[in-house]
Amino acid sequence: MPASTSEKPVSVSRFQEKGFRFLGLTFQDVIRYFFGGNASLAIVALLLICVFLIREAWLFFPTHRHDLAIFRQTGVEYVDLMLQEGIAHKEAYTLLNQAYLAELNEPSQSVAAILLAHQQVALEVSKANQRTVDDWKKADDAGKVALRTRWVEGAEKALDQNETWNVEVARFEWTGDLRQKMRQAVLEEGPGGDEKSPFIAELEERKAQIFAETSERLKPFNAIKLAFRNAGRPLDALTDELAKIAKENRELASTFSSAPERKEALLEGAAMETDPVIKARKVAEAEAIVMVAPDYASLTRPFYDSVPKHDAVNTALRSDLAGILATFPEPGTLQTELGRKNLRLAHKSTEQLLGKLKLAAADVKAWRHDAKVGFGAAVTSFFFGKRWITNSSWQDFYGVLPLFSGSLIIALIAMVVAVPFSIASAIYVNQLASFKEQSFVKPTIEFIGAIPSVVLGFFGIMVLGTTLRDVSQLEWLSWVPGFPMQERLTMLNAGLLLAFMAIPTIFTLAEDAINNVPHAFTESSFALGATKLQTVFRVILPTALSGIIAAILLGFGRIIGETMVVLLVAGNKIQIPDFNAGLGVIAQPAHTMTGIIAQELGEVERGSLHWRALFMVGMVLFVISLIINYIAQWVVKRFHKV
Amino acid sequence: MPDGILLNLTPMNRFKARPSTLSSVEKLVKIILWCATYFVIACALGIFADIFVKGAPVVFQKTPPFINVPFLTELPETLVIFEPGPGETLKLNEKAFDRFRSRNVQVAFTSEKVDANGMVSFTVEERKALQIGQSFYRDEFLASNPGFKPISESSASYSGGGILGPIVGTVLLTTIAVVVALFIGVAAAVFLNEYSSGGPFIDTIRLAILNLAGVPSIVFGLFGLGLFCLALGWGTSMLSGGFTLAVMILPVIITASEESLKAIPKGFREASLALGATKWQTIRKAVLPYAMPGILTASVLGVTRVAGETAPIMFTAAVAAKDKLPWENLGDGGFFSQSVQSLPYHIFTVSARIPQTEYTRPMQYGSVFVFMVMVMCLSGLSVWMRTHYRGKLKW
Repeated sequence: MPASTSEKPVSVSRFQEKGFRFLGLTFQDVIRYFFGGNASLAIVALLLICVFLIREAWLFFPTHRHDLAIFRQTGVEYVDLMLQEGIAHKEAYTLLNQAYLAELNEPSQSVAAILLAHQQVALEVSKANQRTVDDWKKADDAGKVALRTRWVEGAEKALDQNETWNVEVARFEWTGDLRQKMRQAVLEEGPGGDEKSPFIAELEERKAQIFAETSERLKPFNAIKLAFRNAGRPLDALTDELAKIAKENRELASTFSSAPERKEALLEGAAMETDPVIKARKVAEAEAIVMVAPDYASLTRPFYDSVPKHDAVNTALRSDLAGILATFPEPGTLQTELGRKNLRLAHKSTEQLLGKLKLAAADVKAWRHDAKVGFGAAVTSFFFGKRWITNSSWQDFYGVLPLFSGSLIIALIAMVVAVPFSIASAIYVNQLASFKEQSFVKPTIEFIGAIPSVVLGFFGIMVLGTTLRDVSQLEWLSWVPGFPMQERLTMLNAGLLLAFMAIPTIFTLAEDAINNVPHAFTESSFALGATKLQTVFRVILPTALSGIIAAILLGFGRIIGETMVVLLVAGNKIQIPDFNAGLGVIAQPAHTMTGIIAQELGEVERGSLHWRALFMVGMVLFVISLIINYIAQWVVKRFHKV
Repeated sequence: MPDGILLNLTPMNRFKARPSTLSSVEKLVKIILWCATYFVIACALGIFADIFVKGAPVVFQKTPPFINVPFLTELPETLVIFEPGPGETLKLNEKAFDRFRSRNVQVAFTSEKVDANGMVSFTVEERKALQIGQSFYRDEFLASNPGFKPISESSASYSGGGILGPIVGTVLLTTIAVVVALFIGVAAAVFLNEYSSGGPFIDTIRLAILNLAGVPSIVFGLFGLGLFCLALGWGTSMLSGGFTLAVMILPVIITASEESLKAIPKGFREASLALGATKWQTIRKAVLPYAMPGILTASVLGVTRVAGETAPIMFTAAVAAKDKLPWENLGDGGFFSQSVQSLPYHIFTVSARIPQTEYTRPMQYGSVFVFMVMVMCLSGLSVWMRTHYRGKLKW
């Protein structure tokens, strides 16, 4: 009907939906927005992570700055400078002492091992005859004769069992007729434990004799060692004296800073009180609270007065140490490997100590209690602080460097191990393996990625740690840096497990990247007469390089954010690894950023400085992960030519 | 001699590879690549073997019913180890030990009853049962009561009983996480694949998803603690943990769901629209049913990942000890607002937070074994689903 059409021009599309509308939206629109809303939840989640990390962490720097200001004003910082001198001195002394002890104990070690083994065997035997031993203690002389026979019987029985001889003594073996002699010795000694068999007595005498000879020979070394230790005495005495004052000052400062709160609490209590007498008393108490800031200038007077004294002590210590350092024995003259190693380390660390002392002397002189603590100081002391010390009675430090270095070294170890393996397997699976092999290898490696990290950490504690330590004791592996290892839980252990976790991630992504190389590339390479491996290494790998680099980066991101393995296996020792050991640094324990959050957050009061510090560490981790992600995406975009 | 030439030519193949330095180098490189690949697999097998060899004896036994039922049906308890007689050692769970002690008060008292002065004291009930006075010197008491044996005991926390609590907790946490993440994730994937048409908003969403996938799990823990536990006031609860885990696997679920939506041919949608169906009808009837297998596979993958995570639930949901199952404790605050035990956290507790003795070993390896079996079953399920549905759906 053309008439009606002209009458009523079509203003709405004929396909527009009719029917129910809600807020001007059709049903379809509502669904669309519902889906869109869910999708934008990804953005919301990311923003919320930012918001809640910042919400808990943003007050960290102001609070930390306030904490540092008190640290300075009360003079604790001044004493801390001296304390650090003392600690550095003690570290060097410990090394020297270890060198001395290694030398001292070495000659008598074989005899000492036998004596130790005897002790253990005797203990096992008396454990097996506990009743006899108990009775022996109560028995009179007549009874003891009978008990003696019982003892010999029981002891022989115990000595016939192999477990009794299972002793754990370093560098000790049952050789020759040693076992026979030991058996006789144990039987001769009886249940009392106060008799000595001639064999053991002779050994003890020999040990004492060797020991005496050695200590006679090492007398000069011992003198050097003692002189080294005693040189630090004046410094320690001065530090102790000043530390007492510093602690009192800090006490005053904290009383002052909590004063308003206490006053408020008392006034509140008074307001609630009905009894006028108590009320008046509470108000009086509240009024009595001193709200005047302590006079830090006079409080820190003793420190300024002590500067010349410290200077003298410091100079004396330096000249003493320099003198002692010149008299150190040549490492070559020592007989044990451990002794030589420790002596060399002691030498090095004493030289470093001299430098540190010189710097410290200047720092102490330049120290002012009223120097302003800037916001920058709070920031740098977090990001570049070398100490993470919490719950200490002296002063808490929140420096992220030890944690960061631990995380980084572990991640680097993991990458060094994981990258060759995962890329080699990606090449093998994609290019060389048959179809059947592929369909077995690929799911298996992908399945490794499904192993929960806590299970791997458990495996690291139970099996890998002990295995690694035992393997590292092997003679022919001693060229490996860090071997032989003393510890079970080390960065190496954690790094190996993390490498195992990273392999599936890197493998899958790298395999994808290799798979995406167009067939034409491979075919033209073959047509030019290249062999299979030439094609792989000169055509396929360069083309897939961007994808492989992205894979490596994402693997790295996964490793550095991994928590449970490092918490369980890395050894949890908060310190910057000692790089004096060169590559051997991998055999040391460390703590990590992820580990510290997992370990400490559960025990911290909400809103405290420590709590905020942990959230700051979380922020750092979050930012690192974003940066790594960003770089990976950039690499893919920038170099993705195909 | 033409014959001779022919004879000479026949056995020679001009295309046959001749030995050369290049080919031997290639062979060597191939062997190296092979070794690297199979070394990784050997390591994996080594780890599985260790866990299975040491864990299976805890869960299985030689006598019927062949499965260690108490280990799978009891809650973790403190294990008490004591010596009732010379040379024999008994292990009992704490409750059972208490029963044993009260029943055997006539013959035994434990070392904890002896104080520093060597005095033994008894409870009222014990005194009644024994008809004795309040306290004695240990030695005198033993001398006058020859039937008594002093026993010394030691205990290992969380090492007795079973792991039902942790298993239930893990299942609950995982279920919450997957339900929430599937709901949001599938909706997001539908939007990204069916509705979106590019633009900065979509790019931002994709970027956010990518970045979310790279955030360390412990940071998710901090986030969950800040948002769900503290800001929303849910406290340490199943719900906080479940939601934290849900946010964590969201990227996995979105990406995988989108993949499976993408795999559905365009023709399906066009045909449906051409028949007059609305967009929503098309999605509901012509797209989602065919994408479902892929989405389910993705969700199983998500479950595998969620079940294994410890760091995000450490502060948001998990506790080490709980003496009741979630449904036995409905009194205060409802089902979802209680904290739970969880298997990975339990493993962490028994392997790092308690003193290590030989008596904790069975619990450690048993839990790890059960956990690995659960994870392996889920992984196997997802692989099976992938191949199964790939074979079934053809277009």
